[in-house]
Amino acid sequence: MALKALDIYKLLPKKNCKECGDPTCLTFAMKLAGGKTDVDLCPYLDEGAKAVLGATTRPPIRLVKFGIGERSFAVGEEFVLYRHEKTFYHPPGILFKIADNQTTDEIQAVTTRVLNESFIRVGADLRFNGIAIENASGSADTFARAVETVEKTADLPLALMAKDPAALSAALAHCGTYRPLIHAATGGNYNEFCALAKHHDCPLVIKENNIDKLAQLGKDCITKGVQDLVLDLSPDSLQAFIVRSTNIRQLAITRVAPELGYPVFLDASVMDQQDAALVLGISKYASVIISNPLPQATAKAALTLRQNIYTDPQKPIQMNPGLYRVGTPNKDSPVLMTVNFSLTFFTLQGYLESTRVPCFMLIIDTEGLSVLTAVAAGKLSEMLVKESIKKFAVEDEVSHRTLIIPGYASPLSGRIEETTGWKVLVGPRDAAEIGDFLNEEWKK
Amino acid sequence: MVFDVQFGWNGTITEVMLGATKTEGGTRSHSYRIGGGKTLPFLETIPNSSAPLIAFEICDNPQYWSPIILSYCGDLVNDCGEWAKTADSVYGADMVRLYLTSTRQRNFSDIASVGKTVETVLSKTRLPLIIEGSNEPKIDSEVFLKCGEVGQGERLLLGTAEAGRYRSIAAAAMAYNHSVIAQSPIDVNLAKQLNILLKEIGVSSDHIVIDPYTGSLGYGFEYSYSAMERIRFAAQKGDDDLARPIICSAIDTLTVKEVREAETAIQDDVAVQWEFTTGLAAAAAGAEIICVRHPRTIPLLRKAFTSLKSEKTDVGGQ
Ligand code: B12
Ligand code: SF4
Repeated sequence: MALKALDIYKLLPKKNCKECGDPTCLTFAMKLAGGKTDVDLCPYLDEGAKAVLGATTRPPIRLVKFGIGERSFAVGEEFVLYRHEKTFYHPPGILFKIADNQTTDEIQAVTTRVLNESFIRVGADLRFNGIAIENASGSADTFARAVETVEKTADLPLALMAKDPAALSAALAHCGTYRPLIHAATGGNYNEFCALAKHHDCPLVIKENNIDKLAQLGKDCITKGVQDLVLDLSPDSLQAFIVRSTNIRQLAITRVAPELGYPVFLDASVMDQQDAALVLGISKYASVIISNPLPQATAKAALTLRQNIYTDPQKPIQMNPGLYRVGTPNKDSPVLMTVNFSLTFFTLQGYLESTRVPCFMLIIDTEGLSVLTAVAAGKLSEMLVKESIKKFAVEDEVSHRTLIIPGYASPLSGRIEETTGWKVLVGPRDAAEIGDFLNEEWKK
Repeated sequence: MVFDVQFGWNGTITEVMLGATKTEGGTRSHSYRIGGGKTLPFLETIPNSSAPLIAFEICDNPQYWSPIILSYCGDLVNDCGEWAKTADSVYGADMVRLYLTSTRQRNFSDIASVGKTVETVLSKTRLPLIIEGSNEPKIDSEVFLKCGEVGQGERLLLGTAEAGRYRSIAAAAMAYNHSVIAQSPIDVNLAKQLNILLKEIGVSSDHIVIDPYTGSLGYGFEYSYSAMERIRFAAQKGDDDLARPIICSAIDTLTVKEVREAETAIQDDVAVQWEFTTGLAAAAAGAEIICVRHPRTIPLLRKAFTSLKSEKTDVGGQ
């Protein structure tokens, strides 16, 4: 069971010396209770207290980092089964798989794609994360050469998938210092795999198709000195994946089985329905997902789902309120009002850019609610509009006094006119029609 | 297993029967029992429990239907009887969801035509039906009663009841023994409240399916996913007013930017992936009826559901 902040506080030295990075022992205790800091940061804890706290305050799922540099990523450190209880913190890394016996051109093409392809949605840059290289040839040389090809093409996080320690060792000679993920230690080979993981300080996937065996293997690997583990449940059906993954998540977060407190790995490419495995992996707790390079249609849907599932449903992605410019507007340019929900902002901005009419966007603080939702919840009011016009000095920017409001905000138009003294023009409901609207109504 | 996994679930989702076969007093080829779950979706292997049902959505006036579907389905969209038949014989759906979009024209009053349409669809397809009636309080009562009457004995699922307008539809459902879709805007408390309202006017709990409103992928799905999970979770924890099966219909899917603006060559693929991804994730969150509009989404979902659940229930005889 997790300890409460006050129970933890009782065990701390109460020096308030700030050496842990927190202003007081109490704040440190609160962070520990939330699994947000590490007991080791307090230098004055006695061993007894450390032992008690260490086991109960470390995050129930270990944070594991892959790769180095700009594209490196971390997974784990999750706390809940349902995202609305808290949120999910670390989106799964999705790695495209190549076989070492593919041609150099093919390998380079996939690597370049993962390096450069980006899909921008609501201001976020969505990307696939790395490359998984499989030792399909069985030859250590071929494997090492493929890894070298990838390595020369891009600095991306890698997963090395091999059964033979000799092949793995040859590949690690090229990329061992870049924290590739090693896949996979099993009951039969874990001695050699652990030695390599330890030597290169790399995260290691352990693989068993039974939870008890997996837990035992984890303990064995830790005894060998490898701490950054990732769990491959090798499910043979979608249902087996959901069942095992859910059970492991629950056992880990309730701390019933700390030996299972590691991120989960899913090789969707070996499941008979890769697309379905991707969807379920993203929604049901996989942290590293391997897939064959995806066609465009699937790629966008998968990245969008990942963005959705890893958005905190209690905190919509928001823009800073303010006056934004589209193009280079002047004193006569239109002013369009909208809310600070980022999806709304980027949707409207996209359409405005394509109209090529320079203008101002006045972004009101509706706490991240969309237009309709804000109107329904009373978060968009004439007073707020008035304050925003003043706060962002809109009257200094334009010489006219006409405000274009979203079609869905039309119930507020009269009140906004009265309160602000501005003339209100009700725009279309659908931002897609904004171009025609500006050309017809504004230019008049 | 050495480990004892505890979730603390003690609630069961109320079972709802949809469709009626000959022996059950109707004319459908199948009837389905949904609900009955005691865990989160797909965690239990109950023999005979049904996989999520796939409902194909059609309408009787395709004026505002997605151009993607109009071009994929061709002339069928102008004949909802044939369209419904194709949903069964070619597309392989489990159910047909008929939107009476004709009633959504201004000053619509031809209630007799509604009856005819429902009759035609019932005669052309043997699948159980979901019927989406009017959108206009003034004609709700007549439209729903007509649907209810024509479909008597068929255990239809009628939609959609909302907090502000649920009486007409509830009356029609109770009069002819159909079930009701109860829709609330992405909120567990509002969903509960509506179920209580329906209970108070006499709709029995085994005649309600919750529609928590599904925002499409990238445009509200993040909230809908949580709303479904929360409803299911509350039910599993014993909240009887939320222990109802869930229906998922992401009606805006084919109009979102990524789908609408996709290159022509891959537009169908994008539409299908968008529906598939939404439908499968919703099923994992608790939805038991997944509605789609693109025929090609059906086999993909079917295959995934088969791998998630081994048996499909067919409780009635022929
Ligand atoms: C996701 C969602 C939520 C999320 C919030 C998301 C958010 N950040 O706002 C949550 C779950 C929290 C929520 C809550 C509520 N919601 Co809500 N929600 C939705 C949903 C499904 C999608 C909203 C969305 O993301 N739209 C996308 C954005 C981009 O749309 P938009 O901001 O309107 O922008 C478009 C246009 O307005 C236009 N536009 C924008 N700015 C401008 C500016 C100008 C100048 C112009 C010309 C055009 C323009 O361009 C955009 C693209 O076309 C809608 C249903 C729907 N289909 O709209 C219901 C909906 C808006 N919600 C509704 C309701 C009632 C509520 C609640 C009051 C009830 C509840 N569930 O508790 C609460 C209120 C919130 C609160 N804090 O109390 C109702 C509103 C009913 C009404 N007609 O008034 C809706 C319509 C659902 C329904 N059918 O009942 N909701
Ligand atoms: S380092 Fe230890 S003693 Fe010092 S403030 Fe932090 S918790 Fe307290």
